[in-house]
Amino acid sequence: MQGFLRFAALSGRMTGEGLSIDFVSLLSLPRTGWNPRTSVITETQVRPRPFSDPAKRRTHTSFWFTAREAFGIAMNELRAHKLRSFLTLLGIVISTATLIAVMSVVHGLNQYIATHIADLGVNTFIMSEFKWAQGYEAWLKARRRNRPLTIEEFDFIRDNLLGYKHIGAAAELWPNPPAHYGRQEIEEVDLSGVTPGLVNIGQTEVEYGRYVSDSDYLHRSMVCFIGQDVVDKLFANIDPLGKEILIRGLPFRVIGIAKRIGTTFGESQDNFIQIPLSTYQKVFVARPQLQIFVQAWDSDQMMALEDEARELLRIHRHIPYHEDDTFAINTSEALMSAWQSLTKTIFGGAVGIVAVFMVIGGIVIMNIMLASVTERYQEIGLRKSLGARRKDIMMQFMTESMVMAAAGGAIGLIVAFLITALVRALVMPASMPVAAVVVGLLLSSFVGLFFGIYPANKAAKLDPIEALRMEG
Amino acid sequence: MGLELLSSPLQQPGVAPPDGVLIRTHDLWKTYEMGDTQVHALSGVSFEVQRGDYLAIMGPSGSGKSTLMNLIGCLDTPTRGEYWLNGRLVSELSDDELAYIRNKEIGFVFQTFNLLGRSTALHNVELPLIYNGTPAEERLQRAREALQRVELGSRMHHRPNELSGGQRQRVAIARALVNNPSLLLADEPTGNLDSATGLEIMALFDRLHQAGNTIVLVTHEHDVAVRAHRIIHIRDGKIDRDERTR
Repeated sequence: MQGFLRFAALSGRMTGEGLSIDFVSLLSLPRTGWNPRTSVITETQVRPRPFSDPAKRRTHTSFWFTAREAFGIAMNELRAHKLRSFLTLLGIVISTATLIAVMSVVHGLNQYIATHIADLGVNTFIMSEFKWAQGYEAWLKARRRNRPLTIEEFDFIRDNLLGYKHIGAAAELWPNPPAHYGRQEIEEVDLSGVTPGLVNIGQTEVEYGRYVSDSDYLHRSMVCFIGQDVVDKLFANIDPLGKEILIRGLPFRVIGIAKRIGTTFGESQDNFIQIPLSTYQKVFVARPQLQIFVQAWDSDQMMALEDEARELLRIHRHIPYHEDDTFAINTSEALMSAWQSLTKTIFGGAVGIVAVFMVIGGIVIMNIMLASVTERYQEIGLRKSLGARRKDIMMQFMTESMVMAAAGGAIGLIVAFLITALVRALVMPASMPVAAVVVGLLLSSFVGLFFGIYPANKAAKLDPIEALRMEG
Repeated sequence: MGLELLSSPLQQPGVAPPDGVLIRTHDLWKTYEMGDTQVHALSGVSFEVQRGDYLAIMGPSGSGKSTLMNLIGCLDTPTRGEYWLNGRLVSELSDDELAYIRNKEIGFVFQTFNLLGRSTALHNVELPLIYNGTPAEERLQRAREALQRVELGSRMHHRPNELSGGQRQRVAIARALVNNPSLLLADEPTGNLDSATGLEIMALFDRLHQAGNTIVLVTHEHDVAVRAHRIIHIRDGKIDRDERTR
């Protein structure tokens, strides 16, 4: 019977083109007992509706929708696998932390060196036997030809150099001697012989009492000017002025006390005793090796004054015109540039290490993302069956690896912050520049993005059927 | 007598079927290369499904019914032949276009539910809407409605592992319905459920069908198949029998 009806339908189709449609609907509709067009709909009508009108149809997915969904998924994944994520991110954490910490320390040191160490005083240069921070090879060479600066040379320059603002000289006793007052003792103290003019140039300022005077210098007086540490250690609760400190068995009367300077690299700068250079020559070293401090009136005069001083000393030493100096002139700029070339090397090394770490970190992320893709075949298949396009899946996994790496970067930032704080508290100055934070975070995110491409592409290319493994 | 005649001569390749026809396949072939030999998973399948019909596809494993299901679900494209879905020739669409069709036209219900384990029921139901860029408020609204439709309004914020098997499958059905697809495609929807829960789910399908949804069910359980109004039996990549049960 059914067969017959259908056959009849076929005949209808064969006899007239237009009829076939009606026959088909006639065939099926009465027999189902239900007509979608006429039946009373008891629940919310879900369908039928015409095929989506292309004009009204939404652009499939907007970028931000998927981005937000992808971000949510990424955060979920991170939360779901805390330990795994952390281990995965270790490489990124270490490299970001290293990068930011090194940048911070170098940055801090640069500032510190500029303000504390290279600050010889305004427009000041220092003549001495050796150039500072010149490297070992150059030092060895200089050691063979250079000669120490003597008091006669200082006198010669002082008397013949024209137009300086201040001039002074100092010689330091090595090794540092102990100092006593009564039963109190300092095991090691920086002892130097100074000329009276030095107080005008360096960091030393008089708190009370007075500095070494011309009279002290002329008479080779047994007097001393002391730093705050010496006051603390030898003269707790006593006024030090007029008291006598014993150094190598010789008594020196305290004539003045310096203002506190502070510490450099954790080492106190206040543990010093200064005596007149002439006294120093008399009682400690017959031929002191000097550093001569010369201060110009302004920066324009610096170069001229430097040349002037150089010529004077060359003349005094009878150095032929074609030969190099047998002494050195140090300036803050020279010191700073030497320092900066050093930090550049340090920084270059750090960047190399960080690059290697980053690549390793990136490969680890890639590896874990590949595992994650395999692990989530079904999820990928499901998402595809629900209408996710290749680029949606691609976006999901790339966002995931980027968020993961950025999280590693953020942890690295925190670690670097702690390291910086620790370094600052214990060893030396450090401060975190904004650039370091930005570079660290951007770089780690970029690494995540880059190493996420391959796994994400693999996920996006998955065949939804295979991914779903539908049973048949 | 010649049952295949029912469909094939009626169809005209290259011409869109009339509006009442939701699915029309014409001479569908799916061929896999296995080394040197060619395996025909489907060899010339042609049939039509009316809008509002309730169809079951039955067949033993290896019969090609899952291949057919993948083709109907736009997860795969045929080697040869035509497939019209809702007036559009989808057998020649690109990957992204297929994704669009899957999103708009098809609601999948799987044997293993395939819910995202770490997301709430609500978010699971929202997923298809996310992939077509529905704004957040509308998305939430529609996801809630869909969950209420399957009587899970009170369990929206539960995760799948806090739900029973039947509830999970209902969440999956809500997800399939949320985009108002023209076709509900269920693959062994009761395969992972005990018989009582299975009946519950089948009753839900009945109700959805009453409400006007077109349903295609792939199963090998006869008890499940007889709930449908029409059964297509597949064997060796061909339609073996096409019977209307009510």
